[in-house]
Amino acid sequence: MMNGTWKVDARDGKLAMAHIYVAFVALALGGLAGLLQVLVRSGKFELPAGISYYTILTTHGVLLGLVLTTFFIIGFQFAAVSRTAGTLSDRVRFWGWVGFWLMTIGTAITAFYILIGEASVLYTFYAPLQAHAGFYIGLTLVVVGSWVSGFAMFAHYAKWKKAHPGQVSPLLTFMSVVNMVLWLVCSLGVAATVLFQLIPWSLGYVDRINVLVSRTLFWYFGHPLVYFWLLPAYMIWYAIIPKIIGGKMFSDSLARMSFILFLIFSIPVGFHHQLVEPGIDPAWKYLQVVLTFMVVIPSLMTAFSMFATFEMYGRSKGATGLFGWLRKLPWNDARFFAPFIGMLFFIPAGAGGLVNASHQLNQVVHNTIWVTGHFHLTLATTVVLTFFGAAYWLIPHLTGRVMTKAMNRLAIIQTIVWSIGMIFMSSAMHFAGLLGAPRRSAFSTYGDAPQALEWIPYQIAQAVGGTILFIGIILVLIIVTNLAFFAPKGETEFPVAEVAEQAERTPLVFENWKLWIGIAVVLILIAYTVPFIDMIQNAPPGSKGFKLW
Amino acid sequence: MKTQLNTNTPKTKVEKEPALKGTLASVLFLGFFLIFTWVSVYFLFLNRL
Repeated sequence: MMNGTWKVDARDGKLAMAHIYVAFVALALGGLAGLLQVLVRSGKFELPAGISYYTILTTHGVLLGLVLTTFFIIGFQFAAVSRTAGTLSDRVRFWGWVGFWLMTIGTAITAFYILIGEASVLYTFYAPLQAHAGFYIGLTLVVVGSWVSGFAMFAHYAKWKKAHPGQVSPLLTFMSVVNMVLWLVCSLGVAATVLFQLIPWSLGYVDRINVLVSRTLFWYFGHPLVYFWLLPAYMIWYAIIPKIIGGKMFSDSLARMSFILFLIFSIPVGFHHQLVEPGIDPAWKYLQVVLTFMVVIPSLMTAFSMFATFEMYGRSKGATGLFGWLRKLPWNDARFFAPFIGMLFFIPAGAGGLVNASHQLNQVVHNTIWVTGHFHLTLATTVVLTFFGAAYWLIPHLTGRVMTKAMNRLAIIQTIVWSIGMIFMSSAMHFAGLLGAPRRSAFSTYGDAPQALEWIPYQIAQAVGGTILFIGIILVLIIVTNLAFFAPKGETEFPVAEVAEQAERTPLVFENWKLWIGIAVVLILIAYTVPFIDMIQNAPPGSKGFKLW
Repeated sequence: MKTQLNTNTPKTKVEKEPALKGTLASVLFLGFFLIFTWVSVYFLFLNRL
């Protein structure tokens, strides 16, 4: 099953590639919007033709935060389950296509309403900002489409389990299932606010909206959303990178354990995005902060596992000294280099995350551009560089091509360009945030306030970094286009790692879904039931919709 | 008389643990960095009280 010569079936490959094409089109458009944003915020540039800053901000957030990620992840996971649990059945593939088209049509509807300036509500929705109903309906289709694809993956997993009773499922399939369970459970929150609050309110069926309930339901979804992005990167780190470097996985059990911990602890934590929100009792915020810090455990387990994989490999190649193993790693292979740099960026990203989640420290950085800097490290560097690294073998594998040395070199350059751009942009965002610069705001000197004038050099650094990052986007689009359409024909491996000989056997308990989903649901109920009842029973009159753009 | 060693007892297979000194140093550095960042922003918070 774990044979390196296994190939994803061409029909499954087509389904995966369809998702990947949409993901990279979203990267091109969303990246352009990002470039415009940093230029506007430098104070040296104004958008032409009356285009609003908040329109391009929403375009950037929705296309990169929601569309690029969800499409790439679902495409990658379909390829991964097909590779490790066998070719998809016609029925599973059919539902995969249904999911794809629902998501694509939904994206098109949403993008239309954003671009005509009817939905500049940012990707976090933020009632009482009110978009055209088409924005919410389009996003509903994206979420429903992703559910259809998730159930298609569950069906494929169930078929494998039935055919292999008592056996541990292939790791990548197991991980894909965990990620889709996480997605399903958390996206119920956003579905609830969209279907029961935002759509009736935007259509005028109800006048007012309970803002706190809407934001709580959004962040119930919004934080695990980060883990929905991150877990596929972890799949690549745990189960694929060891094979790329020529080594073995440190432990299959540790990888599964960390995924289960993410499933349990990444959902009942949304309040750490609402720490300055009135209307939520501090005791419940405290509980969710504690649960948030529990997520540190699987993150540190992952860090340990990755270091151990690299060191074991380096030492097997004769490395000596404390860090001699680092020299043995394949630095000139973009499939390794891009994700590895992503891992390095996860260190400051994680440190910033601890600050965000701590109640007092959150008051220093809340709603400042520090937070934007933070998730440009987590999502836009750690996750995205890992996805780029995966694209460098996944796309040629699926299209029957091979990456040339020239493209590999360009991919290494792309990673370096990305890193330089992000160091400029994200560091500037972090420092400006500590000085109080707000996020989600166009350029303003706030009546030449001395504090606001302090931010300007950092905003110029953001523009420099953002421009370098846009060059990085152009480079990756050149590589992806080459790999999809122009690279020489040939066979590229879909790497899947084997477990090290000394690793313990994987216990079956990790696939006791009733147990793990049960624990997750109990924790969610404990963390949310009482404060949620409080929000409804003691609600203010609610707010009318605002269109401030 | 010499003690007769029982040569029939099966030897326990001792598996060698991989040497992971570099990993230990790396995770310690990681932990230090996390704590350093947290404490830095905490002092900034205290400073602004």
